[in-house]
Amino acid sequence: MIARRVAPVCAVVCALAIGHASAQARPPGTVVIVTGQYPGSPVPTAMEGPQSTTANQELSDQLFLRLANLGPDRRTADERSFQPALARKWERLDSLTLAIELDPRARWQDGRPVVANDVVFTFARARNPKIAPKLANLLRHLAEVTADGDRRVIFRFSRAYPEQFYDIVFHTSPLPSHRLGAPTDEIPRDFIANPVGNGPYRITRAVPGQFIELTANPDFLFGAPTVSRVLFRFATDAEARMNLLLSDEADAMETILGLANIRRVATASHLRAITLPSSTMGYLLFNQRDRADPSRPHPILGDPVVRRAIRLSLDRQAIVRATFDRFADVPYGPVSQLLWIRAGSPKAERQNLAEARRLFASRGWTDSDSDGVLDRDGVPLALALSYPLTSEVRRQASLLVQEQLRRAGVRIELARLEGAVWNERRSRGDFDIDFSSALQDPTPSGLTQGWSCGGGTNVAKYCNPAVDSLFERAISDPAGGAPAWQAALRQIEADAPAVFMYAPLNIYPVSRRLRDVRLRPESAWLQLWSWHAG
Amino acid sequence: MAPALVLARGVSSWLVRRAAQAGATLAVVLVLLFVLMRIAPGDPLTRITDRPLSPTEIAVLRARYSLDQPLSRQFASYLGGALRGDFGTSIEYGRPVAALIAERLPATLLLGGAVLLVNFTLGVWLGALQATRRDTLLDRSLTALSLTGHAMPSFWLGLVLAWLVGVRWRLLPAAGMENPLLDPSAGMPARAADVMAHLALPALTLCVVSLATTMRYQRRAMIEVLRFPYIATARAKGVPERQVRRHHAWRNALFPVLTLFGLWLPILVTGTVFVESVFAWPGLGSLAAEAVGARDYPLLMGTAALSATLVVVGGILTDLAYAVLDPRVRVAA
Repeated sequence: MIARRVAPVCAVVCALAIGHASAQARPPGTVVIVTGQYPGSPVPTAMEGPQSTTANQELSDQLFLRLANLGPDRRTADERSFQPALARKWERLDSLTLAIELDPRARWQDGRPVVANDVVFTFARARNPKIAPKLANLLRHLAEVTADGDRRVIFRFSRAYPEQFYDIVFHTSPLPSHRLGAPTDEIPRDFIANPVGNGPYRITRAVPGQFIELTANPDFLFGAPTVSRVLFRFATDAEARMNLLLSDEADAMETILGLANIRRVATASHLRAITLPSSTMGYLLFNQRDRADPSRPHPILGDPVVRRAIRLSLDRQAIVRATFDRFADVPYGPVSQLLWIRAGSPKAERQNLAEARRLFASRGWTDSDSDGVLDRDGVPLALALSYPLTSEVRRQASLLVQEQLRRAGVRIELARLEGAVWNERRSRGDFDIDFSSALQDPTPSGLTQGWSCGGGTNVAKYCNPAVDSLFERAISDPAGGAPAWQAALRQIEADAPAVFMYAPLNIYPVSRRLRDVRLRPESAWLQLWSWHAG
Repeated sequence: MAPALVLARGVSSWLVRRAAQAGATLAVVLVLLFVLMRIAPGDPLTRITDRPLSPTEIAVLRARYSLDQPLSRQFASYLGGALRGDFGTSIEYGRPVAALIAERLPATLLLGGAVLLVNFTLGVWLGALQATRRDTLLDRSLTALSLTGHAMPSFWLGLVLAWLVGVRWRLLPAAGMENPLLDPSAGMPARAADVMAHLALPALTLCVVSLATTMRYQRRAMIEVLRFPYIATARAKGVPERQVRRHHAWRNALFPVLTLFGLWLPILVTGTVFVESVFAWPGLGSLAAEAVGARDYPLLMGTAALSATLVVVGGILTDLAYAVLDPRVRVAA
C-alpha cells in the first residue's frame, strides 16, 4: 500500500529533476554571479551607514559610470595614471583647482545627455553631511563644484594635496539630476529600485532576497556590452553560495573563504580560480588604554616593549600558511595587498623567541613560580583576545596565536563574541587584544582613520604625533609621498600598536565557459561588460 | 430561544473573550520585546559593516533612525506604530519593515505550508497505520526510520541533501526559490514546476526531521482510542473494521495532533532559519536571523511580532478545531 502511494511522489520528483537539468543551460551572453549580500540601495549618495556595502558598490558600478577609473597600478596620487570614464579629459588649473570635461557621447539610459549640472547636483548631495555623512567626510577638502557650460565642471579645493582627483572620481558617481528633485531631497524609493544610470547595464528585474537581473545598455558609452545579461543571485550562507557554484547554477562568485572551499573549487573541472589583491588586512590590535579606566594606560599593553615582545613571540608566517596556504602574506604595517605603498616595504619581522623573552624580562616579566606563565609582582601576564564568531579565519588564527603565546609564557583567554557584541565592545575600547579585520580603500590616506591620534576609527587610542606628522607630509606631498608613507610604516612597526597578521589575496572562482575575464581589485565586476560568455 | 442561536451566541462570546486574551498577550509580548531588545548588548550602528563608521557618521545615522531619542519616546513611537501595524523602517535595508515582511512571507508560507501539509497528512496516516499494525515489522520499521530522521539536525541534513542531490547528482536545485534563467514569460505550469523543484530539498529536510513527532502523537492517540469500550461496541455491532478505525477511532485520536498543529504554526516563521540559510530560501526565518545579527531593531520587532501573532492565532485555531470535532467542547464554550 505504501509503495502504491509513494510511487506518484517519486514520479513527480523525477519530472522535477529532468526539468531542473534542462533549465540550467545558460543562453549565450548570460553570466550568473552569486554573492552574499542583497544590494538594496545601489545608488550613489544613498550608500551610507548600513547600506555602505561592497554589494551595493559593485552593483552601482554596473549602473553608473564614475568620472574616471583607477589605472592598472592603482596609484591614487597621480591623476595622469587614471583611465577616462564619464570624463573624457581633465586638467589641473592650479594647486587648488581641477577641471574635467565630460564625454559628449555619454547618455543616461533614458536618452538624455550627461551634463555638467548632473555632476554639480551629485556633489551637492555628496557634500551634505545630513544626506551622506561618509561621503561628506571623504570630500571635506572639496570647497566648490561649478558647471562651466554643459560639459565642463570645475572643482575647487580648500587645500592642496595630490589625491584631489582620486577624491572626486572614486567615492561617487554622477546621478541624473533631471530624474531627481532638489539635491537636499531623499532619493525616491522607485528610483532606488529602478535606477536610471549611464553604465553598461540597467536593472530589468529584481526579486528581493533572490536575484537581480541586469540587461545590457546598447547605448553604453564604450560600446554595447558583450555580456548581454547578468544575474546577481544572493545567498547569505557561504555553503549555499558554494553549492550554487559547484552545481553549475552560477558562473562566478565573490571571493572564497577557507582552505577547504579553495580545494573544492580546485577539484571542480568547470571552474578556475582568479586571484586578486584584497583590500582586507587582519591584525591583533593592542588596547593602549586600561579597560576599567580609559584615562590610564593599559597595565600590560601600555608598554611598547611588551607589545614588541608579543609580536616576536608569534610565528606569523606559520599562522598565515595554516590559515590561508599561499593565498596571503604577512604585511609590514597596516597595509593590505591593495595599497600601492606596500611596494618597497621591508619584509615583516619573523619570530624570535629568545629576543621576546629578553624583552619581557627587561620589563620585569619572568616566570618566578615556574607555572609556565610570566608574572610580575605576582600578577600573571594574562590577556583576553576577542574576535567575532562569524569569522572562521580569525577563530582558527586565534587558536594558533593562543598556543604560540602560551609557549612564550603569555596566557591568552579567547573571547569569541557574537558580532554585534564584539563590535560594541570594540567601539567602546572594552578589550585587551582585539582580532580586527579592516577593509581598506585604495588610498593610503585611509590609514589616518585607524592609526592617527584623532582617527575616527582609532578605538585602541594609539597616538604618536611623529606618525601623524609623517602622514600629513605623505598626504601633502605632490610626488605621492612614498618615502613619508614608508617612514610612517616603520614608525608604526616600531611602536607595535598591533601585530599585523595577514594581508590575503581574494580568490574568485569563475566558470571556464567565460572568456576575457578581467577582474578589478577595487570593484571586482567593473569590466564585466567586456567579458565573453559562450 | 432556538438551540442553534444559543450555541452561536456562546461561540461568539467565547471568540470575543479569546480575542481579548490574545490582544492582551500580544501587548505584553510587544512590550517585553522592546525592553529585551534594548537591554541586549550590541548596537545596530556599531555592528560589523564593510567599512567601520566614524563617530560623526554614527551620530548622523542615529538621528536618522531616531535612536538618539529618549527610550520613553522611542517606546511610545514603537507602540503607536505597532498598533497601526507599522514597525518603521529597517536599519539594515532602509525600507519599511512591513514591505520586507510582505516580500518574504509568501516564501515562508510556501515552505512552512508544504511542510505542515506533508507532515500532518503523511504523519497522521503513517501514525494511524502504525497503531492499527501495532508491534508488527512495519510498525517497528516506521518507528526506527522516523526516529532516525528526528535525530538528525536539520542544518546537517540540509547540507548533506544539498551537496548530494544538488551538487553531486545535480538532480534538484541546490539553493534558491526559483531559477532566474527561466524565461519570465514562461507559463504558470513551468513556473510552478520550477518552484516545486526548488522547494523539494528544503521541504524534505524539514519533513524528515519533524515527521516523527506527528507520527508518534498519532500512533499513541490511536492506540489509546482503539482500547475504548465504544470501539469494542462498534465491532460487536458488526461495523466493518475499516469504518471503525476511520469514523470511530481516528476522529477522536486527532486531538493531540491538533494541539501539535497549533504549536507548529509559529515555527513557520522562526523554526526554519537554518534550513532557509542552507538552501538560500528567501523566507522570514533568514530575515529574522539577519535582523538579530545586525541588531536591526525595527525588523526584529516586526518579525517577532508576527511570530507572536501566529502563536496566539495557532492557539485560537486549535481551540476552534476542538470545538468543531468535539461537541462536548462546544457545550463548555
